[in-house]
Amino acid sequence: MADFDAIDSLLAAVGPEAALPAPGVRRELRERARLSKAQVARALGVSPSTVAGWEDAREPSGEIRTRYAYLLDGLAAKFEAGAEPESAPEPEKAPAATAVSPDPGQEDSGEGDDVESLAVPEPCVLCGRPAGSRVAGFAQHLDPADCQAVTRAVSAPAPPASGAAEAPARQEDAPRSARPSGRSQGPARRAFQEPSGPADLIGEAVRSALAEHQGDVEAATAALLKRAIPDAMRLLDETRKGARYDIVAHPWIPGILKKQTSRGADQIWEARPKWTRGQLPPGRHEVTALDINGAYLSALKTHLPLGQLEHSAGLAHDRRRAGVHLITPPAWEHEDVLPNPIGRRDEPGPLWVTEPTLRLLLRLSGPKYGLCAPPEIHESYTSGATENLLEKFRVALKDARDAAIAAGDEITLEYVKAMYSKFVSTMGESNYNRELYRPDWMHIIRSQAFANLWMKALKAHDEGLTVVRAMGTDELHVIGDWRRVFAEGRGVTEVKVKDAYAAAAGTGEEE
Amino acid sequence: MPQKTIDFGKYGARGIKGSEAVARKLDELAGGITTPVTARRGLMARLHYLTRTAHARKAAHDAGLTVTDRTLTAWLGGKRRPSKANLERIERAYRSVRRQNVARHLLRRLNSSGGTRVEIHPLNQSQVPRPLQRVVEYRTMNVRRWDRIVAAWAAGDDQGLDDAWTDTIVDLGSQWGQYEYVTNVGFAA
Repeated sequence: MADFDAIDSLLAAVGPEAALPAPGVRRELRERARLSKAQVARALGVSPSTVAGWEDAREPSGEIRTRYAYLLDGLAAKFEAGAEPESAPEPEKAPAATAVSPDPGQEDSGEGDDVESLAVPEPCVLCGRPAGSRVAGFAQHLDPADCQAVTRAVSAPAPPASGAAEAPARQEDAPRSARPSGRSQGPARRAFQEPSGPADLIGEAVRSALAEHQGDVEAATAALLKRAIPDAMRLLDETRKGARYDIVAHPWIPGILKKQTSRGADQIWEARPKWTRGQLPPGRHEVTALDINGAYLSALKTHLPLGQLEHSAGLAHDRRRAGVHLITPPAWEHEDVLPNPIGRRDEPGPLWVTEPTLRLLLRLSGPKYGLCAPPEIHESYTSGATENLLEKFRVALKDARDAAIAAGDEITLEYVKAMYSKFVSTMGESNYNRELYRPDWMHIIRSQAFANLWMKALKAHDEGLTVVRAMGTDELHVIGDWRRVFAEGRGVTEVKVKDAYAAAAGTGEEE
Repeated sequence: MPQKTIDFGKYGARGIKGSEAVARKLDELAGGITTPVTARRGLMARLHYLTRTAHARKAAHDAGLTVTDRTLTAWLGGKRRPSKANLERIERAYRSVRRQNVARHLLRRLNSSGGTRVEIHPLNQSQVPRPLQRVVEYRTMNVRRWDRIVAAWAAGDDQGLDDAWTDTIVDLGSQWGQYEYVTNVGFAA
């Protein structure tokens, strides 16, 4: 008999192959469902790299193909019906309507269910508090009494019992879901993890300020601006929870980073661009002054030294470290079309620059650009560096900013702006923020903003625009059709028009 | 205490006493006149600070500025300039009066909301032969009660400050002896 069964199954397998969507669509479906490759692979009984292959170019065959097609069909059907994504759980998941967390007894007897106990508690997918067990890949509490999400659970169905085949539609308010490829910073990189990012501190602050001032927008904004610095520090603490590196707030600071007098400056050159083109091309031109949105916010992503700065002399640049460097800058021969990357420096000779400026110079001296000779590094104060130190903080602020722009919420916008700009300007020796004493970070972040502006100027130049002026952190004046180079808008990757004026060759003056 | 370092720097480690680093940090937080006493501006500012009220005059006297009122008036009027020794005395008196005046306020800030987080940056071992180097990590701790530390600092009592600080860092655990000497102690108030 068994022989005939085998033959029957063989005969059944011979038939039209199940139709699969294009590889790109497969990946999109899986990512929209917030399923990891590993989860899909486990459900289908293949290895994650096989799934990756299917999503790239390869085609599954045989029975696996049928199952994969079934999965993709199911996902596609789910998203097509997506109008009511949360409230349409699968019929067999009956308890979803009452939606407390799964009953342990029921779950254990059910087939295909794997309850693992966890050595290290992980956040429960329902309530976010540490849970000691995992059901079908989802950390959760077995006892509903432990789970605090009962009130919320009405909108969040219980996770499916049978592995990864069906996923609950994603949480609508998940702030980080837009970055499928970004590495999560938590201990585990599970697709279904409740976003462990900061709670909605910004939104809460705005709401409470509005409530306190009975909806008086101006008073609420003033109150929020006043508390922007402590709030930014709180948000920073919140975003560094469980992170790999500590924020070292009070390290020893070398003399070059100390102010010489109470109102004086220290010895660091931040390379602020302040450049106007010497000679315009002949004729009259329409000059557009572009404004880079949230320049300091974007500059929070930079290589920041973690610990105490250590002195070294005569060493080549180490990519894994960051800090300040005493360099002799190379000669700059493109002054007539592009600003000098070290800014307007009147004095010759060596100067202390920060990491972003040095990296910019090294990049420009490399084979790809070949715009100048490499800088000569004499001395450095550096420490091990990471680009991700303020990343979560930046993303939280950026998300709040984007949401505020989309909703036309001027209060939040002002508040977010005050948070990041005051955070940067007071993280040095300021008395307004004594919790953080990192003049090196302050200089590095500013320099990063300037370096970003410089790269934008280069991009404009390379795309055939005429760069007329680069000023401060965020001002770029160009001649030509800039819309094909830069996107216009209010997002951090976009630019907005500050001004448009006419200029003629010879005078170089605006009229 | 057996964990104390006996011959610091024998193998090339560099650092300062933790209590000294704390005193420096407290001085920095206390702030004050930055112009040196040798400049006329700095001298006048200090003299005004020390003679503004009867209370201030008494504190200055107690802090070692034991010149007559006549001399002080002459200095303030610019008729005479203090000698080098007296300039030093003025500076020292200013330091200690300033500390006493600021101590109460500083103490309140340090003790408020559950104490202050302190960062301890370990000593510098870069000059120590490789086999003798030890792993000494950067540590942080929360100091809840600052009363003894600030009192000893305000009184200029180095030994008392050292004792108070040693009693504090014992909370670091059995490794606390490694943090008797440090490169820096960081905290804010």
